[in-house]
Amino acid sequence: MTNLIAKNLSFSYGKESVLRDISLELKTGTLTALVGPNGAGKSTLLRLLQGQMIPHQGEIFLDKHPLGANRTQVALMPQRSSINWNFPITTEGLVALGQANAANQSCCKTEASLQRVGLVALAKKRLDALSGGQQQRALLARTLAQNASVFLLDEPCAALDPPSREQFLSIIRQLAEAGLTVFVSSHDWGQALNAYDKVITLDRTVLAFGTPEEVRSKLQSISSMGNHCCG
Amino acid sequence: MLQVILGSWWIYPLLMTLLVGILCPVTGALLITQGRLLQANLISHGVVPGLVLAFAIGIDPSLGGIISGLIGALTAERLALRRKEYGEAVINTVLAGSLGFGVLLIPLLKIRIDLESILFGDLLAAGPTDIIRVSIATSVLLLLLKNSYQNLIYLGLDPEGAASIGLRVPRLKFSIAVVTSLVIVSSMSAVGVILVIALLAAPGLLGLNQAQSLNSAMIRSAGYGLIISFIGFLLAIALNLSPGPLIAVLCLFSLILSDKYILSKATKFLLHK
Repeated sequence: MTNLIAKNLSFSYGKESVLRDISLELKTGTLTALVGPNGAGKSTLLRLLQGQMIPHQGEIFLDKHPLGANRTQVALMPQRSSINWNFPITTEGLVALGQANAANQSCCKTEASLQRVGLVALAKKRLDALSGGQQQRALLARTLAQNASVFLLDEPCAALDPPSREQFLSIIRQLAEAGLTVFVSSHDWGQALNAYDKVITLDRTVLAFGTPEEVRSKLQSISSMGNHCCG
Repeated sequence: MLQVILGSWWIYPLLMTLLVGILCPVTGALLITQGRLLQANLISHGVVPGLVLAFAIGIDPSLGGIISGLIGALTAERLALRRKEYGEAVINTVLAGSLGFGVLLIPLLKIRIDLESILFGDLLAAGPTDIIRVSIATSVLLLLLKNSYQNLIYLGLDPEGAASIGLRVPRLKFSIAVVTSLVIVSSMSAVGVILVIALLAAPGLLGLNQAQSLNSAMIRSAGYGLIISFIGFLLAIALNLSPGPLIAVLCLFSLILSDKYILSKATKFLLHK
């Protein structure tokens, strides 16, 4: 059961400032959405929170301890485009990779992760034989196999059809109800936001934070964000 | 009996055919899954200046070839980093430049060297030294697979994720480049540095089809490679043709024959006739 807290994070690529003064708290057992336009810094923020990159300013804590040594407690599911889906590997082979760096590797963990995302029946199927939605669930299962307590998902619903998106959202809702902390970046700030407990709107800095209703009302005053975008 | 066999003119060429027919496809399957076949093509051209220079100063040509192949690969990688969107163009430029440099060195250093056998192979001239070179390359490849199999899967499947879980990605990529150079240089006498690409690519592609794991893809690729090389060797002797180009042509044919669309069209055409 873990709270992830970021305080005054700033980050730039060279001279270009990407994130400014970001503070947020992800509470245990909550499902939080991170929404914002392209180039808002969503992926960069997720990488900072996972410890892949070091913020130029600010600090990240995991239950009051600095993230550094505890970064294995935070797992990141990458964007779909960063995966080579034609790689010769089965679904269970992919999920087992989640424990690639774990001290104690266990086949039970792979099995349990597959069960959580409802892919046990497809465990022996090759990855490129799965549908887009099934592939995303397989990638989520690999992330779950990492023995982490905070899960950062980078645009997991991008390119999914509405039924697959609904199914995916229902799975991550169950994860949050089971006590895991789930933080999901998305382009979608339409009705899909209602599936989340909290929403953070980002455009290089935090524009709004609260329940979906609260954020929507705040966003109405920010014309530059546009109306509705599905991704 | 053993002496008679070892004394036969065909034994080393045949052994070389079988070994290269396994080694190149296994390496090829790995390179395809890592998206590094273009780099292998670059290395295959990049070894030429090193081979020529080593020959000129009287050291083992394969050593020069490995070093210059690696220099070519590292140069291309560094230049491509600055032009990420045009990485392919950078690699092809380094590839052509390296080969050109190697060809120019021959008259400049005033040496006599059979460029054709370097580029296209001279399998029938293979000897014990070639077998030793292939055995060294095979051992290094097996060592890489034994120590880093899981990491290679991670890197090929999710390069960004590999870095994020703490894998030493640059070191792993360099190891792959070293193995590639070794394989290319050691296969030189069989199919030549240019045609080795055919043996790296085609059986690898065939082996990857439907394979459930990288392991099984490599084994299947080795099987296809062995068959193609052996048939190529026999045909070359029967038809009195150069084995290297013949093996490359067989690679192309096997790829065409494995294409379901072409195969179904050809079957329909033949049945109609």
